[in-house]
Amino acid sequence: MKTCNNNIDACTACASCTALCPVAAVVRDFPGPKMAGPAAERFRKAGAPTDAALAYCTNCKNCDITCPSGVPVAALNMRARAEHVKKHGRRLRDWILAHGEHMAKLAMPGQPLTNLGMANPVTRQMLKAIGISGSRPLPRYAPRTFLRQYGKLRQQPFADKVVFFPGCFINYNAPQVGLDLIAVLQANRHQVIVPPGLACCGVPLVTGGYLEEAAAAAKRNLAALADYARQGIPILTACTSCGLMIKQEYGELFGADGAGEVAARTYDAMEFLLELHDRGRLNTAFTPAGGKYLYHAPCHLRAQGIGRPALELLSVLPGVAVTDLDAGCCGIAGSYGFKADRYDISMAIGQELFAKIKAAPADAVLADCGTCRLQIAHGTGAKVLHPISVIRKAYEPEYKL
Amino acid sequence: MTKTQAVIIGGGATGAGILRDLSMRGVKAVLLEQRDLAHGTSSRFHGLLHSGGRYVVKDPESAAECVAENRILRKIAGQCVEDTEGFFVRLPEDDAAFEQQWLAACRALGLPVAPLAPQEAVRLEPNLTPRIAAAYRVPDAAIDGFRLCWQNAAAAARHGGEVLTYTEAIGIERDGGKVTGVTVRDALSGETRTIPCDLVINAAGSWVGKVAALAGADVHVKPDRGTLVAFNHRFTSRIINRLRPPSDGDIFVPHGSVTILGTTSVAADRPDDTAPRSDEVLKLLRIGQELFTNLADYRILRAFAGTRPLYSAAEGRAASRNFAVIDHRAEGIDGLITVVGGKLTTYRLMAEKAADLACERLGIDAPCRTAGEPLVADPAPGLLAMAKKYFPAGGAELAAARLGDAFGAVVRRLEDDPADRALICECELVTLAEIKEIAARATTHGLSDIRRRTRLGMGTCQGAFCGFRSVAAVCDAGLADKGAAELLRDFLEERWSGIRPVLWGKQLREEELLRGIYGASLNIDGAMHDEGI
Ligand SMILES: Cc1cc2nc3c(=O)[nH]c(=O)nc-3n(C[C@H](O)[C@H](O)[C@H](O)COP(=O)(O)OP(=O)(O)OC[C@H]3O[C@@H](n4cnc5c(N)ncnc54)[C@H](O)[C@@H]3O)c2cc1C
Ligand code: SF4
Ligand code: SF4
Repeated sequence: MKTCNNNIDACTACASCTALCPVAAVVRDFPGPKMAGPAAERFRKAGAPTDAALAYCTNCKNCDITCPSGVPVAALNMRARAEHVKKHGRRLRDWILAHGEHMAKLAMPGQPLTNLGMANPVTRQMLKAIGISGSRPLPRYAPRTFLRQYGKLRQQPFADKVVFFPGCFINYNAPQVGLDLIAVLQANRHQVIVPPGLACCGVPLVTGGYLEEAAAAAKRNLAALADYARQGIPILTACTSCGLMIKQEYGELFGADGAGEVAARTYDAMEFLLELHDRGRLNTAFTPAGGKYLYHAPCHLRAQGIGRPALELLSVLPGVAVTDLDAGCCGIAGSYGFKADRYDISMAIGQELFAKIKAAPADAVLADCGTCRLQIAHGTGAKVLHPISVIRKAYEPEYKL
Repeated sequence: MTKTQAVIIGGGATGAGILRDLSMRGVKAVLLEQRDLAHGTSSRFHGLLHSGGRYVVKDPESAAECVAENRILRKIAGQCVEDTEGFFVRLPEDDAAFEQQWLAACRALGLPVAPLAPQEAVRLEPNLTPRIAAAYRVPDAAIDGFRLCWQNAAAAARHGGEVLTYTEAIGIERDGGKVTGVTVRDALSGETRTIPCDLVINAAGSWVGKVAALAGADVHVKPDRGTLVAFNHRFTSRIINRLRPPSDGDIFVPHGSVTILGTTSVAADRPDDTAPRSDEVLKLLRIGQELFTNLADYRILRAFAGTRPLYSAAEGRAASRNFAVIDHRAEGIDGLITVVGGKLTTYRLMAEKAADLACERLGIDAPCRTAGEPLVADPAPGLLAMAKKYFPAGGAELAAARLGDAFGAVVRRLEDDPADRALICECELVTLAEIKEIAARATTHGLSDIRRRTRLGMGTCQGAFCGFRSVAAVCDAGLADKGAAELLRDFLEERWSGIRPVLWGKQLREEELLRGIYGASLNIDGAMHDEGI
């Protein structure tokens, strides 16, 4: 673990990151990325204790996006936070939120925590008691996981293959996004492989301070993906946090073996499709379905430095009008916004985005990140989709799967 | 000015130590410093509280003094000393026979050394090269020269000792063979006056020859220049010495938030020949890289140089590091004592010997008490707890250590005025309260004086942001005795002198940002033009 040790030296103390940190803008007690990150790191290296205020950081990475000097501020924060919780202990609530994968497994049909169980007043009361916000609806688990449905799919075989890394949210909560992606790829003469043995990408473990467990997840996923990367098979994600994790943090945080190799082959689903389009290989036999959409670019998409591929791609669809909301962070930051003591912060951050959405009626809001979609639905009541679902619809009825 | 018993010339560690010593023995004494305390070598040094390990082979006598003083300073100067411990590391290309010689010498002196497996050394200090042939632990520590001088002065003040900064000795008055006073010039107003006294103690470090000459005495001191490089962060938490015959660039000292690499050794013409040069820095980097492979990646904040007051006929590093206390009565100058040579580590011992002689001359029979009483009391736990509310993690402890007895006043300001809690220097965690408190003191005449006492501007940005903030704060509070533009220029020029020789890589980017802020946004040249500076 020595990848970002010296990068604090690149910091010029310009404070641009602090000016654009969504949390620092609404929380007085948070010293902001510059002070919590590179500035504090100099003192941590000199033996100073970690600061409890690190808990405010959402790992949204707007600091990294802003920094003109390439300082991995959020990673510094995550490491320091891991040190902090190691020393000062964690709450049961934080364990639960960091281990969404375990929890989801328990919630599958026939398992102790079903949706009914999660929604019933007794369970809510229990969750509240351990510090999970009662104001926010918990994401519903899908009746059948993506992996189960994928197992039953019969795809057309094509010479061009892609690997799909579904991630927890798509697998347990939003399998339709994964199915839509497969449909679109099939329409583009690609066969989709979901390798066995994948684990949660590790994002909630990192933000929860469980770096060792996250490193183990990284190792396991890299082992499952490395062979494909070596064969030159593209690896796709349709969750921007999973994508950022694999592309950047496996190397940055863990210096994990094979991280570079896999990262070089990993694409966001929209990024991949846009590349097909740029190479003239995108199937453009769209039905002119039309529609008016608002688009929210998730922070972890912006942190990937690939622009807003969904926006460009959607502009290719006949009759579709998309407006970029350009309203910064939605505020939920994965499990962060589910914490009782973070709920208000999370909603305060999202205010600008919510206001813009409410002011511009549309058929739906589009966002490439699962928890962004939850936050937008909660904050505005709007219908929220992954952009892939709009593209899939544009291929119907010709390419019905 | 009313008569005093003793005038001490030179506000470095030695002079401040003598002031404290004499004051504790009941002698009425005044310390003169031509600029600010620690203006000389006592801040332009490596910051190593020697265990003695560096000198055991060549100069066992010096080493023995270090062993003893190291133990004493840990006790009495706790706020100035950071107990980092040190490693001596031998690389495969270094002479193995010297290692044995060194070990034997350490044992003979009773210097505690413990062997350390090379893998263990690298585990403890992961940035060290794995190419280690042998490693040992020694009780080296880091020591802060600014603090040491100020805390000695503060301790002396409790016993009636007086400090006059920005006061240069320009004449030593005599009546026949007997010293009667010192003529001084106020460095700020230019005014001169004479301070009558019975005894003058010349503790002017590399300047002792010049000061002795004021009384017509002759002291042969050869200023020997050494350059040091300060890095932006601590890449070692222990002092790392190269285990070989002492030579250039073989010590790394972690110091607060930074690491310092040094040093060089060349004869200098003048005591104030302290402008560092790029070729010296590059040489240090080349040698230092052998111990820290990634050294070139680490950002250099600045370089600085000091002159060793070597008192010996021989030149450079081979000369004895020992000190001498000279009674000029033998030359027919009654009432002048010079103390010269030594190290910062042995400042207290030098002060004790000089004060012993001074008391003998003054006919005062009082024992030295400086080894027993702490310079400043540790901050009360309640005070520290209060301060912790206002500082980022670890900041309160740092402030307590650097402020010494001024800490209480700063915490009161923090309690009283929420606006004073703002961090003015974010790189070194200095609050507005601290800046106001130090700015209000009679000994403060510019931002550099504040810097030496608070670490303002000594971190990553080297004044880029804290410069304009602190000038605004000082002027706002009506505490400035100069105009804003002039304060800024003095401060930034002083920082620039250390940055110029290392103007590449990440520091160059910082400097361009600084130039943008002051040159373009604030148009400081234009402002100075308007103020007619
Ligand atoms: C590069 C370098 C690295 C070193 N590293 C170490 C180390 O790691 N550990 C260690 O123990 N020692 C170290 N030393 C040695 C140590 O720093 C010095 O021996 C020590 O600081 C000398 O202190 P001093 O008080 O005698 O002299 P100084 O600190 O130089 O004080 C003399 C003062 O006299 C003032 N003065 C001069 N003329 C007049 C006048 N006419 N009127 C009024 N004031 C006057 C000057 O402004 C100056 O402030 C190092 C030295 C150098 C050069
Ligand atoms: S990751 Fe987000 S919340 Fe955390 S410091 Fe950076 S910008 Fe702020
Ligand atoms: S981390 Fe980057 S953006 Fe933040 S202060 Fe440092 S250089 Fe500026």
